[in-house]
Amino acid sequence: MDAATPKPRENMGEPLPRIDARLKVTGQAGYPADLPAANITYGALATSDIAKGRVTRLHLDDARAVPGLLDIVTYGDMDKVEKPKFGNSGATSIGPLHDRTIFHDGQIIALAVAETFEAAEEAAQLIRAEYEEEKPTASFDSPGTKTVPAAGKSTILKEDVRAGDFDAAYAAAPVKIDARYSTPTQHHNPIELFSTTALWQGDQLIVHEPSQNVTGWKVELARQLKIDPANVRIVSPFIGGAFGSKGPMTPRTAIVAVAAKRLGRPVRCVTSRMQAFGTQTYRAETRHRIRIGAGKDGRITAFAHEGWEVTSRPDAYVVAGTSATGRMYDYGSVLTHVSLVRADRNTPGYMRSPPETPYVYALENAMDEMAVALGMDPVEFRRINEPKVEPIGKKPFSSRSLIQCYEQAADAFGWAKRDRKVGAMREGDWLIGMGCATAIYPTAAAPCAARVRLTSDGDVRVQCGSHEIGTGVRTVAGQMASERLGVPIGKVNVEMGDNNLPPAPVSGGSISTASVCSAVLKACDAIRAKLYAGATAEGGPLAGSHNEELDFADGKIVAKGGASAKIEDVFKIMQLGAIEEYAEFAPKGATPGALKKLYAGQPEFHGGDQDEDSVKYAFGAEFVEVRINSYTREIRVPRIVGAFAAGRIMNTRTARSQLMGGMIWGIGQALHEATEVDRRYARYVNRDLQDYLVPVNADIQDLQVILVPEIDHAVNPAGVKGLGELGNVGTAAAVASAVYHATGKRIRDLPIRIDQLIA
Amino acid sequence: MSQNPASSATGLSRRSFMTGTVSAAAAAPLLTSAAKAEVPAATHSKLREAVAVSLRINKRPYELSLDTRTSLLDALRDHAGLTGTKKGCDHGQCGACTVLVDGKRVLSCLSFAVMNQGKEVTTVEGLASSEGKLHPMQQAFIDHDAFQCGYCTPGQIMSAIGCVNEGHAHSEDDIREYMSGNICRCAAYPNIVAAIVQARDQARGA
Repeated sequence: MDAATPKPRENMGEPLPRIDARLKVTGQAGYPADLPAANITYGALATSDIAKGRVTRLHLDDARAVPGLLDIVTYGDMDKVEKPKFGNSGATSIGPLHDRTIFHDGQIIALAVAETFEAAEEAAQLIRAEYEEEKPTASFDSPGTKTVPAAGKSTILKEDVRAGDFDAAYAAAPVKIDARYSTPTQHHNPIELFSTTALWQGDQLIVHEPSQNVTGWKVELARQLKIDPANVRIVSPFIGGAFGSKGPMTPRTAIVAVAAKRLGRPVRCVTSRMQAFGTQTYRAETRHRIRIGAGKDGRITAFAHEGWEVTSRPDAYVVAGTSATGRMYDYGSVLTHVSLVRADRNTPGYMRSPPETPYVYALENAMDEMAVALGMDPVEFRRINEPKVEPIGKKPFSSRSLIQCYEQAADAFGWAKRDRKVGAMREGDWLIGMGCATAIYPTAAAPCAARVRLTSDGDVRVQCGSHEIGTGVRTVAGQMASERLGVPIGKVNVEMGDNNLPPAPVSGGSISTASVCSAVLKACDAIRAKLYAGATAEGGPLAGSHNEELDFADGKIVAKGGASAKIEDVFKIMQLGAIEEYAEFAPKGATPGALKKLYAGQPEFHGGDQDEDSVKYAFGAEFVEVRINSYTREIRVPRIVGAFAAGRIMNTRTARSQLMGGMIWGIGQALHEATEVDRRYARYVNRDLQDYLVPVNADIQDLQVILVPEIDHAVNPAGVKGLGELGNVGTAAAVASAVYHATGKRIRDLPIRIDQLIA
Repeated sequence: MSQNPASSATGLSRRSFMTGTVSAAAAAPLLTSAAKAEVPAATHSKLREAVAVSLRINKRPYELSLDTRTSLLDALRDHAGLTGTKKGCDHGQCGACTVLVDGKRVLSCLSFAVMNQGKEVTTVEGLASSEGKLHPMQQAFIDHDAFQCGYCTPGQIMSAIGCVNEGHAHSEDDIREYMSGNICRCAAYPNIVAAIVQARDQARGA
């Protein structure tokens, strides 16, 4: 066992290699833009140079003169299809070619289609527009913003959570802080470029596009194109990173489909890295005001979290992490309020741990400030405020292993060796700081279907329309089938990423492993029941045994007493060659129409703060060491340790990798990532991977992930809590507290850069 | 932050070339000197004309008819059917398109296909043996879970092989530095370093 393959502890599965690993290291994994399409043509987008106004005239002659140019799709050409809708399957309500209004910089104004990629690019760059330009509103503090309460504007936030009398408790508190924090605009920047390839076969439309939501997109695309959803197929077998960016479908998809229809040939449009900043979603910039009041014993009596978030003019994208921050600790009273700030921007969207990353950053940075104000160790401060029930609805947690996470991470990190005094730790020219923070992410699941087939030869096929975005869901779904049906993983084939497969929910909100594995488990158990019936029937090899005494192992059905029957022999007795089961899983609390909604691409999420009996969250604790050069103020993170408890761990290898990637995302949040907005033009400036900084290999040194055992039967049948979005929550606050510990400077606005540390 | 040791052969930006902001007179010598191809003094319209390009990829000859502006990356993907090499930025900033040209790592998005005539191009498809035995670097990437989504992986593996061959894999610090031109957004970096150490040690032992 090395670092990548942690030894399974209690309630953890084996660190099997990814079942698609060989395809990925040999270049054979087919990402959507890799899939062949005969007689293909190439599309390139032209986008607006202004952020607000109207397109008055388009000059297309130069573009049309490019040899190999086949078509230009622009205003008027989308009139016969419906405008996009904003919601879970749709990124924005802005139909860029339905209307000459410009809502944001970089909005699509045309699609050029040509015989070659080079000709399409040349033509798109020769398209010129004349505009009636208005002065745009860029962001917070720009003239022309409109601020409205977020509650009720979206299903994300029905109402602002609160408990008790905050004002009185805060006024009476002997120790208190009142501080403001901010997080910047960020773009997901998966390394796979966004692309759409549309192929028509008669009335049938096939779309190759990286997607986290093939069923939702099928329904939404069919609605826009006014065709039967049964005639739309979204194919996305491998996805080159997503992080939320490929959850909602953007308007490009329908535009490319229309182009392919007009031309009678397939069209592939790969969006440039630069154009993706304006044509895809992004993480909205946020601002926070946090007030905490506590007694001298460190017990929190009052907590208030106010948030402000930028969104577009037409769409109410709501971040709202107050549901989690309001339930994090045993506050005596809670007050929260979230506001939307509308500006002339493209519509933001989900980005890895959408509500928690910015909101928990603000909370945890404030918790560290409060510990300092109390003169208390920050770990001890959190221990004192560990709740028995959550403070809003007074419900218990289905499980909560936060203190165990703190203990195990602190021990591995060597927290006891930290000198609490600011600036006290130093090695040569480097100031050393150590900090910590809590990670939290709601545990949810959604309805999901799966089909599993077991042949008499012991071959298993699992089919589920979920999405392999790098999480390892294809592997853990196969692992679940392998465990339940007693066959080696090498005999299991898993098909995903196609809406012709049994439907799965959007791969977002860290619900995939729980939802998919619960459906696969149900299908496998139906196969087991059939084979048990065959084996225990009169005259059968295990006649007289009861199902609960039986299990599958090594290609056999094994009875408690030691008797066993080979599965192939049971198949023979039953005169069957294969057993195939289709299972539909619905989480506890699902409405009667929940499964129907799954097929309609509108999966219901259950869990988190929604359930009656308990609230469901996964927790973690992260410890960071920073080193800051005393002359240059260069900031390095030589060490980071995270301990996480997330119920059943299906595969310690893929789980660790997810958490590790999350923690590195957290370091990026803390020190690197920010999309700069030119406030004069409401335009993104650093629209490429040279100037949009993300962590690179040299930024990461010693990183340790600890998987803390936890058993939780209440969350779902698989006992799995999601962890894809857990690792990057809290990290930035841990870095900020370490920076404070090293320098005495409290940085509240992310990212933390050298200039903020130069006095 | 995203400095790239695997720089292109010329440092010429294909994009500025394509948009015509580089004058034809300035562009032509770069093309001819780099490729020694019989490309006439280019005019803008001439640049659009297809030319016959002979490439050797993974030890096999390819005769392609290409727009002279076609990058090596697009030639591999769209014309030779080798889609293992990935496009992540088309600007030489992410490393996903890294291939080996005459054994050295090159960003194929920043190299015109015509500049590579007569050179030996190796892509991720050319690493495993004809019997399917994986290159030690490929196996090490599996063993150490050195990827998640897998999209940057072909570029990481080609770059890793280049890194070891260049003698830039002496220490983990070296590896981190010389692999920093290959961005992994899933952030498998510690596992990539561990994989390279394993493959390096295997190569030394062999």
